[in-house]
Amino acid sequence: MSSEMIIQLNEKPRRTKFTAGDILTWPLIGPFLRWRYSRRVMQAGLLLLTGVFVFDGLVGPVQAPKNLATVSAWVHYRGLVVLALLVAGNLFCMACPFMLPREAGRWLGAKLGVQGNVPKVLRNKWLAALLLVVFFISYEYWDLWASPWLTAWILVGYFLTAMVVDTFFKGAAFCKYVCPLGQFNFFGSLNSPTEIKVRDAETCAACRTKDCIAGNRQTGQRGCELWLFQEKKRGNMDCTFCLDCVYACPHDNIGWQVRLPLQELWFDPRRAGIGRFSQRWDLTALMVVLITAAYLNAFGMITPVYALQQAISDQLNATSELPSLLVIFGVGFFIVPVITLAVTSYASRLLSGRSREPLGLVVRRFTFALVPLGFGVWLAHYAFHFLTGGLTIIPVTQSFLNDVGIFAGQPQWQLGQVVPAGWLFPLQTIFLYLGVFGSLVTGFQIAVHQYRDRHVALRAFIPWAILTILLLLAAFWIMLQPMEMRGTLFIGL
Amino acid sequence: MVTKKQLLLVIFGITLLLVTGCRRGQTSDISDIGLDLSISPDPPTTGPAAVVIQLTDEAGQPLAGAKVELEGNMSHAGMTPVFSQAKEIEPGQYEAPLEFTMGGDWFILVKVTLPDGRQLERQVDVPGVETR
Ligand code: SF4
Ligand code: SF4
Ligand SMILES: [Cu+2]
Repeated sequence: MSSEMIIQLNEKPRRTKFTAGDILTWPLIGPFLRWRYSRRVMQAGLLLLTGVFVFDGLVGPVQAPKNLATVSAWVHYRGLVVLALLVAGNLFCMACPFMLPREAGRWLGAKLGVQGNVPKVLRNKWLAALLLVVFFISYEYWDLWASPWLTAWILVGYFLTAMVVDTFFKGAAFCKYVCPLGQFNFFGSLNSPTEIKVRDAETCAACRTKDCIAGNRQTGQRGCELWLFQEKKRGNMDCTFCLDCVYACPHDNIGWQVRLPLQELWFDPRRAGIGRFSQRWDLTALMVVLITAAYLNAFGMITPVYALQQAISDQLNATSELPSLLVIFGVGFFIVPVITLAVTSYASRLLSGRSREPLGLVVRRFTFALVPLGFGVWLAHYAFHFLTGGLTIIPVTQSFLNDVGIFAGQPQWQLGQVVPAGWLFPLQTIFLYLGVFGSLVTGFQIAVHQYRDRHVALRAFIPWAILTILLLLAAFWIMLQPMEMRGTLFIGL
Repeated sequence: MVTKKQLLLVIFGITLLLVTGCRRGQTSDISDIGLDLSISPDPPTTGPAAVVIQLTDEAGQPLAGAKVELEGNMSHAGMTPVFSQAKEIEPGQYEAPLEFTMGGDWFILVKVTLPDGRQLERQVDVPGVETR
């Protein structure tokens, strides 16, 4: 192929016609997203907002409900992220403001010549899983939701870490192996109704350059930083919806497509950049951490937890909150999941009659069936906060603007709820039922695809179905407890 | 490399500014004025409560004729505050109804306008409002 022809190919990409199932072909939003710099625009917008939040967190009101940092991080960010994952996809990573310090780090690292590959021991999810555990414990210990100052410093720390990690390591090291928010989004996007994927498999088969992974030499557009080679990419795990692959593909063969949520969990193919789910303890551990954290995080704000903490503290003769927290989280994150998964897997293997299968394999295979329920619990919890307090951002913004000298009117402090209070419980119930439905279907499908024989599959599935129902009951129990949002008042300055 | 040093210096400067900078929303206080706040039921529970505020002047005498307003808030983000206006029930003693809408940690901002027009605002923490 002569270079002229290649340029022609690049200049006149085949324009894909409007298809309802492909968001990149939709009017307005499609052309915007297909514009190579659309993400920079979104990132810059979010970066600006984050800058304002950090500023308010550091120098603004010490009271969490009056500060933009705490309101935006703990009410809006969390609520909007889970809702976006439910109805669309990994929109936060798509517009992630931390990408800009990452790019800065990458530039610096290349300039200083210090960039290397991520060491093999770190090329997995263990570090990210550990960071998540540490975060959830810190969240309770320092009552992060009650401190604008600490919240702002977390944001600053996040920026610096993203920058430093990508100064020293190539590729999307931060996103793939470190970023706790990203891992949450990857976990949540398994439940999403969309996916970035190939439009036409034959075009890929005929493609020689594989720009979606190798990068487009004509335009200088990089390929997928997370090593998800489109032809072998299955599902949303590790995909930041960054659209780099879309921009790189010279055949315009990648779309943002509607799909059946969760279906990617039913099969266990070898996935590009990931491998088989059932062969990865690190990924399984990450899922367990996120499912368990959904419960622990919600458990942390109901009345019984304080009695429990008190009892443990008395038992240990402890004066600080930390020992009792470590006990609760140690039991919650490690002991309960290990025992539960081992027992359920054992029963499942026994009933299926495949006694020669390693127990660990059964654990890794079926843990993914609990993802939808875990996500449902996150949804019920974070949507609750968002729907009860979403509108508080209006008076808080008004008061911020007034204080920095831009008159924004009398703050409307009476604003708060997004929906009537009577809707909250039904909505939460719907989220939990969606989750449990997803988990049951996924568990059964995993069994069917694994064991082929439907009777064997059904027997293998029964213990997991029982576990799912028990987990649903546990979620309902938590939801029906009186809420008590406690924490030491106003640490920080 | 000099530019990097300069950059670091600027970042350090900004950080220092942010850490030590004055905070907006800091309550303005007149420390000589005595303010005593009690809540019934005690310990406070969710639902309606009565807040009694005793004001004393610089000499420790009951401070009558002030205007007292309350704002109740939770310690975490995302809850609407509750407001209330206090009535003077005895010289220097003011009472206001306040509704604790959820269990958990609360704080009350007491805004006082003295008869001479001076204003003060003080924050009183009400940790652990129990769910009834
Ligand atoms: S993984 Fe983290 S840093 Fe990367 S895009 Fe997602 S949120 Fe941003
Ligand atoms: S380049 Fe990779 S991470 Fe980005 S959208 Fe494509 S597959 Fe996902
Ligand atoms: Cu909560």
